[in-house]
Amino acid sequence: MSEEKLKVGFYGITGCAGCLLSFIFNEDELLDLVKLVDLKAFPFVKEVNPSDSFDYVFVEGLVASNEDLKVLKELRENSKFLVSLGACASTGCVPAYRHYTLKENYEHLLYKKIKELEDVNPTPVDMHVKVDYYIPGCPPSKEEIKTFIKKIVRGLQPKPNDNPVCVECRRNGNECLLEHGKPCLGPITAGGCNSVCINGGFECWGCRGPTTDMNLDLMIKILKSKGFDDKFIQDRLTTFAGLKLPMLEKIMKK
Amino acid sequence: METLLLEKKDYEAFITALINWCEVISPVKKEVVRFKKIKNPSDVYLGKNSFFPVKEFFFRKKETIFKFKNNKISIPKLESPKRIFFGLRKCDLNAISHQDKVFMETVKDPYYISQRKNSYLIGYHCNEAPSKYCFCESMRLKDFFDLMLYDKHKDFFLVEVGSEKGKTLAKKFGKYLKRTDNKVSLEEKKIPGADRLPDSNIKDLYDNPGWQEGVDKCLSCTACTALCPTCYCFDLKDEVKARNLSEGERVRNWSSCQLKEFTMVAGSHVFREKREERFKHRIYHQLDYFREKYDVDLCTGCGRCIEGCPTRIDFVDIINRMKQDKAKQ
Ligand code: SF4
Ligand code: SF4
Ligand code: SF4
Ligand code: SF4
Ligand code: SF4
Repeated sequence: MSEEKLKVGFYGITGCAGCLLSFIFNEDELLDLVKLVDLKAFPFVKEVNPSDSFDYVFVEGLVASNEDLKVLKELRENSKFLVSLGACASTGCVPAYRHYTLKENYEHLLYKKIKELEDVNPTPVDMHVKVDYYIPGCPPSKEEIKTFIKKIVRGLQPKPNDNPVCVECRRNGNECLLEHGKPCLGPITAGGCNSVCINGGFECWGCRGPTTDMNLDLMIKILKSKGFDDKFIQDRLTTFAGLKLPMLEKIMKK
Repeated sequence: METLLLEKKDYEAFITALINWCEVISPVKKEVVRFKKIKNPSDVYLGKNSFFPVKEFFFRKKETIFKFKNNKISIPKLESPKRIFFGLRKCDLNAISHQDKVFMETVKDPYYISQRKNSYLIGYHCNEAPSKYCFCESMRLKDFFDLMLYDKHKDFFLVEVGSEKGKTLAKKFGKYLKRTDNKVSLEEKKIPGADRLPDSNIKDLYDNPGWQEGVDKCLSCTACTALCPTCYCFDLKDEVKARNLSEGERVRNWSSCQLKEFTMVAGSHVFREKREERFKHRIYHQLDYFREKYDVDLCTGCGRCIEGCPTRIDFVDIINRMKQDKAKQ
């Protein structure tokens, strides 16, 4: 380890703070983890947060206002590496679902009532600035955040988990929920969560976003063969994977 | 081979005696059938083979290889529990013998050996294929077991003794396993309905377009390799402590050739990038590459990788079809 500790910041733009909490939920090693780095800024838990320069900055949330964009650009300028933390930052997650519905379906709920709110397209972080690493998930796995920090302080390059959720699910000896007719997205979703949902009996909703290796056409075919209609499939696929599924409309037509 | 006789009226008492002697693991039926430790003879389920393979008891899903602290390495204490595995089918017994070759002969893997060495294997011979996917009869399997029960008669099982360990069991449980002049004939060892891969030589099929239908239906989900009783690939990684980054453990986990990560090397180059290459690799390892080294096919025809595949890709059908098409040409 180098003498000088890595300067690290944790920031949230539009999000629920769940990803930031995921880091804090590492109670077993939290105090040791914090000592490994120079935790310069973490406005969620710290009062004084100098933000002039970072080695790594972790950003939770997505860009949903002009203020978000300003903060994000500043963070990018001030850090060597930018880490997209969680599903909103990485895929757009639930907020980006707005892209798949018509303006008249949501406008009256909020934007018409509160005039000061700007209606900026909610978009993941990498649509605005360069992202060096992703820690996906809604919320991201606390283990993964922990491992990430241990890696960077040792000078190692963190590697994203690109294996489908099924790998851990099968290793955990679960019965496959697809066989029970449930719309499990495990086969196209990046693992690293230890298949936590399936272990508890719920199908995977794809919160960690797609793998680079996904067979999306086949996944859609499988869901159709189980009796799910196009609307359901499109909704389910985009709930968490947000804007990270390519050409969905075209594929749906097949 | 010595043959003994177990009367069916003694069956429950025999299983109870086994349970009283040591831990007994057998197929148990919940929603699906899986191998589990049993408490009573009635827990044993012999109606179907276990959906999950027995390998996880020997080649464990997660194994701590060693712990390290600063520059010292310590190997965890390895236990060798005495266990009886009851109700293993021929395919799974042969699968154990193939993993033995890998982990006990080619290399001496202390983790596998410790789990395996005090284990007794008692088979239950299939009267007919319990699943429509079985093809063990096509895979030229051997007799490999400590004891094997043949269920061919109304009132008794014939029990073959296949090893020194089998002899120990026969002696220990002599009260139930009695002398007999009966023998199990070769005819009786056949398993009807499990010979659907007449020719498993796929050497000249690698570039055949017939594989494509399988590739198109593949999610690279690894169900096949996780459920396969013979697949033995793993991944190694280090887990360190935050309080001391030079302290931690090296663990191995099951891995799979169906993943891109499996052939990723430094610089993130992936050797088998294409799904097609990965899909074929599994089947070629099972039916071709392993044979080159060990003179036996790795696959034992249990059919799990087909039954458990979310899209039921049947590589046996695919191979048969390619062979037929070739014959027509
Ligand atoms: S339940 Fe879902 S994640 Fe698990 S093996 Fe089946 S498809 Fe994959
Ligand atoms: S199983 Fe799927 S939805 Fe659940 S945490 Fe993992 S990736 Fe997210
Ligand atoms: S189980 Fe089937 S879909 Fe999954 S990787 Fe194996 S062959 Fe492909
Ligand atoms: S390759 Fe398939 S059929 Fe052969 S032993 Fe493995 S799971 Fe069984
Ligand atoms: S593959 Fe053969 S031995 Fe195995 S369950 Fe099927 S019929 Fe029985």
